[in-house]
Amino acid sequence: MYKILSADLEKCTGCRTCELVCSMKHHDEYNPQKSRIRVYNFVEQGYFVPVVCLHCNEAYCEKVCPAGAITVNYDEKKGVRAVQISKEKCVGCKMCIFACPFGNVRFIEDGYSDKCDLCGGDPECVKSCAKEALKFKEVSASYMQKIKSTAEKILAAYQQT
Amino acid sequence: MHGYSGKILDVNLTSGEIKMRPIEQDWPKKYLSGLGFNARILHDEIPPGTDPLGPDNVLVFGVGVLTGTAVPSASRTEASSLSPLTGTFGTSNSGSHWGGELKYAGFDSLVIRGKAASPVYLWISNNSVDILPAGHLWGKDSWDTIREIHKQYNDEGVQIATIGQAGENMVRFACIENGPYDAWGRTGLGAVMGSKNLKAIAVRGSGPVRVARKQEFLGTLAETRAAILGSPFFGPVSRFGSLLAATPFNEHGALPGRNYQKGSIEGWTETRTRKVLHKYSNRNVGCMACPIACAHWVEIKEGPYAGLRLKDMEVTPLLSFGAGCDVDNLPAVAKLHETCQRLGMDMVSSGNLVGFAMELYQRGIISEQEVGFPLQWGDEKAVLSMLDMIAHRKGFGDILADGVKRAARHFPEASKYAMEIKGLECFQVDPRARWSTWTLGFITNIRGGDDLRTRNPVENLRFNENPVPYFTEKFNFPDDIYNGLDMPEPLKKEIFDPETKDVNIPKMNKWAGDLMSVYNSLGMCMRPPVLHTVGPTLFSRLYSALTGIDMTPEEIILAGERIWNLIKLFNIRHGEKPSDCDFPSRFYEEAVSAGPAAGRKLDREQVKNVLKEYYKARGWDEETGMPGPEKLAELDLHQEPQNIKFNSF
Repeated sequence: MYKILSADLEKCTGCRTCELVCSMKHHDEYNPQKSRIRVYNFVEQGYFVPVVCLHCNEAYCEKVCPAGAITVNYDEKKGVRAVQISKEKCVGCKMCIFACPFGNVRFIEDGYSDKCDLCGGDPECVKSCAKEALKFKEVSASYMQKIKSTAEKILAAYQQT
Repeated sequence: MHGYSGKILDVNLTSGEIKMRPIEQDWPKKYLSGLGFNARILHDEIPPGTDPLGPDNVLVFGVGVLTGTAVPSASRTEASSLSPLTGTFGTSNSGSHWGGELKYAGFDSLVIRGKAASPVYLWISNNSVDILPAGHLWGKDSWDTIREIHKQYNDEGVQIATIGQAGENMVRFACIENGPYDAWGRTGLGAVMGSKNLKAIAVRGSGPVRVARKQEFLGTLAETRAAILGSPFFGPVSRFGSLLAATPFNEHGALPGRNYQKGSIEGWTETRTRKVLHKYSNRNVGCMACPIACAHWVEIKEGPYAGLRLKDMEVTPLLSFGAGCDVDNLPAVAKLHETCQRLGMDMVSSGNLVGFAMELYQRGIISEQEVGFPLQWGDEKAVLSMLDMIAHRKGFGDILADGVKRAARHFPEASKYAMEIKGLECFQVDPRARWSTWTLGFITNIRGGDDLRTRNPVENLRFNENPVPYFTEKFNFPDDIYNGLDMPEPLKKEIFDPETKDVNIPKMNKWAGDLMSVYNSLGMCMRPPVLHTVGPTLFSRLYSALTGIDMTPEEIILAGERIWNLIKLFNIRHGEKPSDCDFPSRFYEEAVSAGPAAGRKLDREQVKNVLKEYYKARGWDEETGMPGPEKLAELDLHQEPQNIKFNSF
């Protein structure tokens, strides 16, 4: 089973350290707008929801890429299955951005698309999370229960806005 | 530049002129950023005699150079102006996410001058600035204003500094709300914004903060983080935040109960401390890049305030309203906190003012007719009504809206119940009950009656009491903390008794003032365990690697001292007198009436002596507290305007 990035909304305090370390690791600067993980703040609900690439099994971004820049890479040992963009091959057409239903692909001003690659199996955001709200682990039945309760909260928050 | 954006945004609201100028070349090393830049700008641009509520006053926001990076707990921005409350250096520090956003938008500092002809707000986004009409926002409270602007830009990531009705009506202790739940609270900066017809400053940016020496910086950052997370205080502060202090304040009899008439309150622990926090909050909220996240997300589920949701239950509103006005339950305190946030009023001053009015009522100095309703202790509805009347300057509220020092002049014998220092309402801890470096700070603080500028790295109200000595306090920390203290060794030996480790209060107070100036200038939060952990050495390494401008620990702390002295010069220039640096007379003349500190009062001579020692430690004149020529030369401040009359006292 491959690991996924997920967040415990009861633990996330909205400090956005994940955004900062992500942009530093991948773009050599502190800049939340370039971070591959983004924390949305529901100001009046007091909830913070980290949003990041889900590495879809049928990745729409991969399917629409005309340049073959998006590939699915496996590292069985580390339990990683990452949908990745090659900066070198990317032609900057932005099709992947249109195709992603979740807003998890970003366009970088230098002219290429950019998204989470799971840091080769050792995600920087997870390491930086002092409250251990972000986790990188296998999906299991018990974990699905947690996701369900998380999803319910997202839904409730969504319906209230 | 690295670390810095390198630019100051300067907005003239009278002419509509917008300038972007580079920061002066020698500023980083001399003034760091944040508070330091503010002090430099205000000292240069606000001459004596300026009306704090006139167009010539200048309001500055200074973002810390560490803010916007991942340095743990570096989220802070200092706002400063000539205070309409104290007439001297008005200044306040706030975290959350606004400062980082201003950096990403391209600016280290924002200077606002002049006065718009009609209400406006600023929209700052990536090196561009618009002055936009705010007629539709004027009259709205801060929460509604924020909601409106978020809706307009369809983005809750827009960071907003705004005033509520209190700022519009120039209540002298109005604050600037930093998002809905945080504020530049003290010294009335919201009134300055209101006087300029400036309702809000909305910021969104997508630019970078760059690092000069990445590997070195990330290494030091990891070290800083490990030190903070490794502290024995990390766990408790992460869970309970400042509420940790609520229990020992009562145990020591240091509460400001009923406007400092009661040092401890019966049933306090059961009704108003962390013991009951779990009923209202089980989640924490953090400022940018902060691993501690000391604030609580509060949801009141039942009772008269059911449905109330906010970031709250910290010690400040609790002491102000829960003790100062003796409101006996946390949901009501949360409601009062919310009201202050929405109206945009400093909750320390607000609680102090209402407590003051309640005491006048208790003593028959004011009557129900004058107020419009009874002002009984603990009557939360009366407090709510009074807050609204203050913010709108209605009836009796109009008198209180000018601050406790001015309000007291309206009534005979009222001055002795006005708990203020240098015109700023006291922070709510009673120095009679527990004398310390912290409480000496009330009178040495460059912004007046408040403790936050002289927090010291071993303050420990939680563990001991200090009934008698004025010059020393007990050090009750584990040896590890002493050994790991980030302080030059020779100074450590001067400040701490080598055997008992007793702390020399005046010397520690000087160190604390300088260190807090560094914190406020670099954008770091002073909340423990950061306060215990991060000092000049870590700061020098973080700063040098981030900016590429090498600074030694000695240079860092010297910059802090320079900033402290520059503000002192500003204050003297604007009329601060040596006699202003003193406690309200109540602390000398009236003993604590009940509780563990019963019978204690401050001794005027002793306070005077300890203040002299403090001045000596600062290299200031022992009688007048004036920075002398030698000290100013040492700090490279000897070129400052010399219209200060050294012998005028």
